[in-house]
Amino acid sequence: MSLSFSVGKSSRFGPRTGTVSLLRTGTSISINTPALMVATSRGVVPHLGRDQYKRTSALRWISVPFESFLENSPPIPTLQPGSNPLHTFLGFNPSQNLVVMTLRDPADPSETPANGNDYVSASTARGMKKITPAQWRNHVHACVPDIVVALPDIPWTSPPFSQKRITKSIERTATWLANLLAPAPHPLNILVHMAGGISEPARRAFTDSLTETLYGKEAEAVHPHKCLDDGVVGYVFDLVPLRKAMESSPDDARDNQEETVALLKASLLSARPNKLRVVNSPASPHEILRLIRDVGVDVFDAKWAQDAAQIGIALDFVFPVPSEAAKGKQRDLGHNLYRTDYAHDFSSFADSLQDCSCGACAPLAPQTVISHSAIDAHVPATSAPAPYTRAYVHHLLQTHEMSAHSLLIMHNLAVLDTFFANVRGVLERGEDLNAHVDRFATEYDETLRVMDEGRSMWKDVDFARGKGRLARERAAAED
Amino acid sequence: MAQFELLARCPTTRARVSRLTLAHGTTMLPTFMPVATQAAIKGLTPQQVESLGVTLILNNTYHLNLRPGTKVLSEAGGAHKFQGWNKNLLTDSGGFQLVSLSKFTTITEEGALFESPFTGEPTMLTPEESISIQHAIGGDIIMQLDDVVPSLSPDHARVEEAMERSVRWLDRCITRHNASGKQDRQNLFAIVQGGLDLELRDRCLTQMLERKDQVAGFAIGGLSGGEEKDVFWRIISRCTEKLPEDRPRYSMGIGFAEDLLVCVALGIDMADCVFPTRTARFGVALTPHGPVNLRLAKYANDFGPIDPECPCPTCAEGTSRAMLHGTMTKETTAATAVTIHNITYQARLMGDARNAILNGTFPNYLKTFFATYFGDVGYPEWCVNALRSVGVDLLEGGEVKVVSGSGAKWE
Ligand SMILES: [Zn+2]
Ligand SMILES: [Zn+2]
Repeated sequence: MSLSFSVGKSSRFGPRTGTVSLLRTGTSISINTPALMVATSRGVVPHLGRDQYKRTSALRWISVPFESFLENSPPIPTLQPGSNPLHTFLGFNPSQNLVVMTLRDPADPSETPANGNDYVSASTARGMKKITPAQWRNHVHACVPDIVVALPDIPWTSPPFSQKRITKSIERTATWLANLLAPAPHPLNILVHMAGGISEPARRAFTDSLTETLYGKEAEAVHPHKCLDDGVVGYVFDLVPLRKAMESSPDDARDNQEETVALLKASLLSARPNKLRVVNSPASPHEILRLIRDVGVDVFDAKWAQDAAQIGIALDFVFPVPSEAAKGKQRDLGHNLYRTDYAHDFSSFADSLQDCSCGACAPLAPQTVISHSAIDAHVPATSAPAPYTRAYVHHLLQTHEMSAHSLLIMHNLAVLDTFFANVRGVLERGEDLNAHVDRFATEYDETLRVMDEGRSMWKDVDFARGKGRLARERAAAED
Repeated sequence: MAQFELLARCPTTRARVSRLTLAHGTTMLPTFMPVATQAAIKGLTPQQVESLGVTLILNNTYHLNLRPGTKVLSEAGGAHKFQGWNKNLLTDSGGFQLVSLSKFTTITEEGALFESPFTGEPTMLTPEESISIQHAIGGDIIMQLDDVVPSLSPDHARVEEAMERSVRWLDRCITRHNASGKQDRQNLFAIVQGGLDLELRDRCLTQMLERKDQVAGFAIGGLSGGEEKDVFWRIISRCTEKLPEDRPRYSMGIGFAEDLLVCVALGIDMADCVFPTRTARFGVALTPHGPVNLRLAKYANDFGPIDPECPCPTCAEGTSRAMLHGTMTKETTAATAVTIHNITYQARLMGDARNAILNGTFPNYLKTFFATYFGDVGYPEWCVNALRSVGVDLLEGGEVKVVSGSGAKWE
């Protein structure tokens, strides 16, 4: 199982397209970048069934935070028999799905007890668990993911962090990477988390520790690699801890967006340009576009779009913005289907993507229907099923029916997947990305008001069920 | 009007196989109808439900009338289009939910008077109103409004009054339905009442059979309210004995495997229950060996599927008990995966019954089912009695324990 990344125009910073290829016995998976990566919770894509995995074409690259499995010892997936145990256990298709195994959920901002010199604190449903680099290595070799993120030392105690703590973080992250690089029967495809927090010098120092040539015992430990960087396929940037640290910093004048770009660049300045760059937890397509344009990031997780589905938002945006559209008021990135405005709206989810091919906008009649007796005769429908409507999903959300979220997640992933395909199109055609990004920022609201509104209405329905609720709804509908 | 053709009869029991053709296709009977209370079967899309071989589902009128309401449903072109379900659909009358969900419901001759959950105002659900709402929903089968009394009610006079009133309300439903011009697409079923009293059931049957030409089928109501199982089957048996051969028979609120098969043996064609979908949400998967509670620690390391023989997507995709154990109650997909399995289990149980009746092997099918399902804990006595009454002796040629009470199996 070997992974390669070929990147077209490998200038150090700036937009680029590439292809990730995974060769596995009998199959190969090829993913064009920039691309999305689907987030999971307890190893499942929330609200999406296994039969729906197959029909969700956006589901190629999957990130599996492993910490929830630490509540059992040994973790259950490590006991799964057969080849491709992690794929098998979680129901991902080895010939279609590229699975990344990482310890922590990169989107979880909660504080944890401090890490130690030889362990990371991980969060499980049964409390915090300590996990050592040696245990991580064992779990990874038992699970056989396609890609593994080496154990990083990201401080999850309360920021700001002292220089001493940052230095420790850099050293431990490098040491723990070396541990994973030690010779093994099956070589791993490894991503390394770029340490250094919000200090540019610290981030540069971490990259130097990756690229410096090793000698003696240190070199033996990672043989045949000459330096740590030789053993990794790419770099990971988690934005949640960076945002947390920036927010706690006393300097009000700073621009977090600009600073994020500067921090990522600091890490990449002396790194090899032809390695994969993966970002977790971008907040919006605006941020994704900036990180593609200014840094040259290749892969982004889709957590924000998945979260949007969780709170009733059907995404509705397109890139590039058609030139005739950029007039008038800024538009929302999607529709908050909790709003009673949608109760009578029988249109499909997105106006801007009329040909959305997701399982909600273009549902397929079942390809196979189980026959339960000799006289059962399935008569296929003469026409394709109609698209699901905003009115139906509004009803499902109001009545707390979970299929609302299944439909929305299929749609939101498809919208985001189309977005990335169009970004690649713009780059491949050599169009002016900068102008497109500016037009996108003018057209669509980046503050995600619609998400805040959806979140509060989701909470109302989720937590305030009970007496008087229908009356409140009626009052809201009449407003 | 519905087309109902009898295809085969079990030479021993009263079980039969038939084909029911409605405006949205054909449904083979006997069948189990999953319940889509709010126009959705928990967590599933209609395409998923259809792929499981389900051709007839149930929507609850009470709930759909509250939300989204008949205005939205009419705008959508009916509940089929609203929820994207293009197979057959049955709606209940809304009466049962009124009585069980609303504390202040009072029944008068005019209808059921209840407190509106929206405004708190007194609101009346009349037989005519129930039919009109069901017309707006557009179900292929609609149910008369009946006067429902809890099956354990000790008030005999009230049970008798409710039975007589249900007959009068049936007439009002027939009048409204026949005036609607919707009889070609929607089919009205009568509901036999009369509590646990065989004599009252007889009187109800006599009166309702006089109206046979005005109704497409008959349901047996007023059961599944905690009555003794030995009483339950006798009421079902008395009704199916007298109900006409050429109309489908629907036993309301039945969902346990043994209840379904006993009812089929007594001549029932249709049944519905929230049990298989509700129990799935609590992590209980139905299998030929009895229910499996996936939350139990013993399944944490079990890498087998729920049932290796099961054709449902959950089992066929290899979802392990261990995976379901680890995500149950934490991720909605676990409940959905078990819901898919449980609906398939019910459909298979009934499909296998159809095959057995067609092949003339239904008594054997019953024996095999009970041996596999109850062999380890003992057969419920009421099942033994009920099946004996239609010529099947479960105890014949074997040393099996018999247990009194409901005997329902649980894990
Ligand atoms: Zn869509
Ligand atoms: Zn199954």
